[in-house]
Amino acid sequence: MNFSDFLRGSPDGVNVSGPKIVCSFDIGGITINLTETIVVSWIIILAVTLLLLWLTSDLKTKNISKKQAVAEWAVKTVYNLVDDTMGKHWHWFAPYIAALFTFSILGSLISMIGLRSVTADFNAPLTWALITFVIIHGTNIKTHGLGGYFKGYVDPVPVMLPINVLSELATPVSMSLRHFGNVVSGMVITSLLYYALSLITAKIGVAFCTIGIPAVLSLYFDLFSGFMQAFIFIMLTMVYISNADARSES
Amino acid sequence: MDFLTIDVGTILFTLINTGLIFLAFKLILFKRIDAILEQRQHEVTDIYHKADDALTSANADKEKYAQAVAGAKEEAQGIIQRSEKIARKQGDAILEKARQEAQAAREKSAIETEQEVRLARTELQKEISGLAVQLAEKIMEKEINPDDHERLIDDFIQHIGDES
Repeated sequence: MNFSDFLRGSPDGVNVSGPKIVCSFDIGGITINLTETIVVSWIIILAVTLLLLWLTSDLKTKNISKKQAVAEWAVKTVYNLVDDTMGKHWHWFAPYIAALFTFSILGSLISMIGLRSVTADFNAPLTWALITFVIIHGTNIKTHGLGGYFKGYVDPVPVMLPINVLSELATPVSMSLRHFGNVVSGMVITSLLYYALSLITAKIGVAFCTIGIPAVLSLYFDLFSGFMQAFIFIMLTMVYISNADARSES
Repeated sequence: MDFLTIDVGTILFTLINTGLIFLAFKLILFKRIDAILEQRQHEVTDIYHKADDALTSANADKEKYAQAVAGAKEEAQGIIQRSEKIARKQGDAILEKARQEAQAAREKSAIETEQEVRLARTELQKEISGLAVQLAEKIMEKEINPDDHERLIDDFIQHIGDES
């Protein structure tokens, strides 16, 4: 392996691939692949559940512990964010937003402990975007009525129907690809830079490049980008859903 | 798997996983924190209610005590007035009694004085009578000229004056 291999994109040097399949099984003729993404998701769910159980253990009304203060702060922050963005009638939606944000951010940050990012698998952000898509249209039908919902597609003139349909379909696609693209591009860039730094280290024989620089890169591509993408995703989810809500319009 | 693949199995599992993490957040975090916040809200409301009740009770007590103090003042004023009245009556009675006693003493003294004067006058009359008799006797005993006669009378008068 040499530097020219890196420039040519040698498969031995930098290998960017999808999640590994842990096992496969058939259900009614459909092959279900249990991928790395699913297993890592379970690890995240387990960790989050244990964290939540620890945070909410021994809750008191007076003389509260630091962990309870953190839990209360987190809940109130999410409630305020949802109330401010979507309105008070979407207050009940806060747990989903908190779950989505946590799943997304931890799904991105888990790469820092050597596991594959959940969000680096397109299927994960696509699923969340599809959930948002279903809620958007469910809300639209619920608040505008079925007639009002379909009327919206020929608004302001019937000729706009294909564009309106395309616009609606573009929502989950853009949301999922934005999230996936940002995380995976960070992963690819980090992998390429790690490879380049390892080559430099091999050339000069001193490992100064592989110490420090990867940490700075990881700070941006994993921590900052992961946080930003999770935040953007929940904000878009809230904005799209509240836009579909006739009560928010009024 | 390929780098960019839409896999139904992964989507289904992610859907289930998202549901699970949502339930974890809703049932563990939000439900418990909501319950504790509500409980705290109730406690704070109770504290406010108790404080309001205590304030109302304190105000009622204050009003009651103010009325009691006002009643006590009135009562004290009444007692003072009654006492003053009694004292004035007693004072008047004492003064009246003293006045009566003084009057009685004065009358008694006047009576005694009058009796003394009467007695003295009686004695003086007796003495004058005696002296007159003595003078008559002396006049009778010796022949006196008009000058002696006049002198005797003057002596007699002088003697009466010294006696009185």
